[in-house]
Amino acid sequence: MALYLRPERLEDALDALGSRALTVLAGGTDFYPARVGRPLDEDVLDITALAELQGIRDEGDRWSLGAGVTWSALGAATLPPCFDGLKAAARELGGLQVQNAGTVVGNLCNASPAADGLPNLLALDARVELAGAHGRRSLAVEDFVTGNRQTQRRPDELVTAIAIPKPAPDTASHFVKLGARKYLVISIVMLAIVIEPEDGRVGSARLALGACAPVARRLRKLEAALAGRALDGGLGDALETAHLEAVLAPIDDIRASAAYRRHCVHVLTRRLVTQAWQALS
Amino acid sequence: MAETKTIALAINGRGREVAVPANATLLETLRELGYFEVKSGCEKGDCGACAVLVDGEAIDSCLTLTWTVAEQAITTVAGLGEGAAKHPMIEAFETSGAVQCGYCTPGLIIAAQSMLKDTPEPSEDDIRLGLSGNLCRCTGYTKVFDAVREAAAVLRGGESQA
Repeated sequence: MALYLRPERLEDALDALGSRALTVLAGGTDFYPARVGRPLDEDVLDITALAELQGIRDEGDRWSLGAGVTWSALGAATLPPCFDGLKAAARELGGLQVQNAGTVVGNLCNASPAADGLPNLLALDARVELAGAHGRRSLAVEDFVTGNRQTQRRPDELVTAIAIPKPAPDTASHFVKLGARKYLVISIVMLAIVIEPEDGRVGSARLALGACAPVARRLRKLEAALAGRALDGGLGDALETAHLEAVLAPIDDIRASAAYRRHCVHVLTRRLVTQAWQALS
Repeated sequence: MAETKTIALAINGRGREVAVPANATLLETLRELGYFEVKSGCEKGDCGACAVLVDGEAIDSCLTLTWTVAEQAITTVAGLGEGAAKHPMIEAFETSGAVQCGYCTPGLIIAAQSMLKDTPEPSEDDIRLGLSGNLCRCTGYTKVFDAVREAAAVLRGGESQA
């Protein structure tokens, strides 16, 4: 690269971003794969020395995951059960070395349609915090990722953290990733559920589906159908084709056909809902 | 043209000053310095053949800029073991039939050693997660897992089961 910057203060990083085009680099687990076979010749801003971006913080009504938090660090952190789905993603993304280096925020900013963190973050109603030379702003993750590898991050901005509003303490979450093998694989289908029980019924359920459209999407029709239903063996019966069709835009690609994806979404959604019920009983 | 500077690298207990460009990966630097036991596989974090220990933790050297690991202890598979004594993990791989073509072996040993540092008495799931970042096309992994179990027992102070 012509220029390699590794500032230790956030204001220096933002000044640099504001004055020239820089590629932001943290763990590099998407950066290097996109550049195999060619020299690394971009100007790079390495954010791994920014202390302000480290750590997972309890901020009262929400949790804050700094942009420097790796998947391994997330998996090892003591967090309530609403993070179980995100932790499951942390253990199945890439392999151990990738988990040690890659960051939750980097996965989000790369915004692959198969981004492993996105379904859980959508189901948690997470928000993205951005900082630029002109100030700070916050967006819902749902609004932040706009398409295949497209986000609302402006070139002069850094994502500093992901904020997750705290749900009720007994909120549970689960995640399922379908791939051609268990590790080192890009998802064919992914589903996340965050479920809040209330007196033996579904108080609220939030579900998101990934790898079946340009961007992962919430399954709001299914969420509405699940709300208030009894937490029993019949929970999976709430699922209807109509709940999924609106958000499904699967493609034929090297990993799977669109038809296979459609079939798997039905199977896995039912399985995930059943798993959520079984875990709560 | 990338900036080059002289940095201090500590590899297998040996300190050295090396002129390294900003855009050099640790994989490139190690092989240029003659550490050929660090293999180049996919160069994108999908195979683990290039794995080395940095301060005891397994990382893929193809996903690491050399400048970022100056001042840290880098260990390749050749750096395991004390003097002439063969490291128990290497011994276990050799005697368990876990080595066929051998290309994945350095990376597997590094990953296994990193896992054992944190989890000296690993379950089957711990072993599978610990080696999740390493691909082997020859062995089918069964004897690799046997070797890791064997080495774990020896490193905990037990007798070799072989």
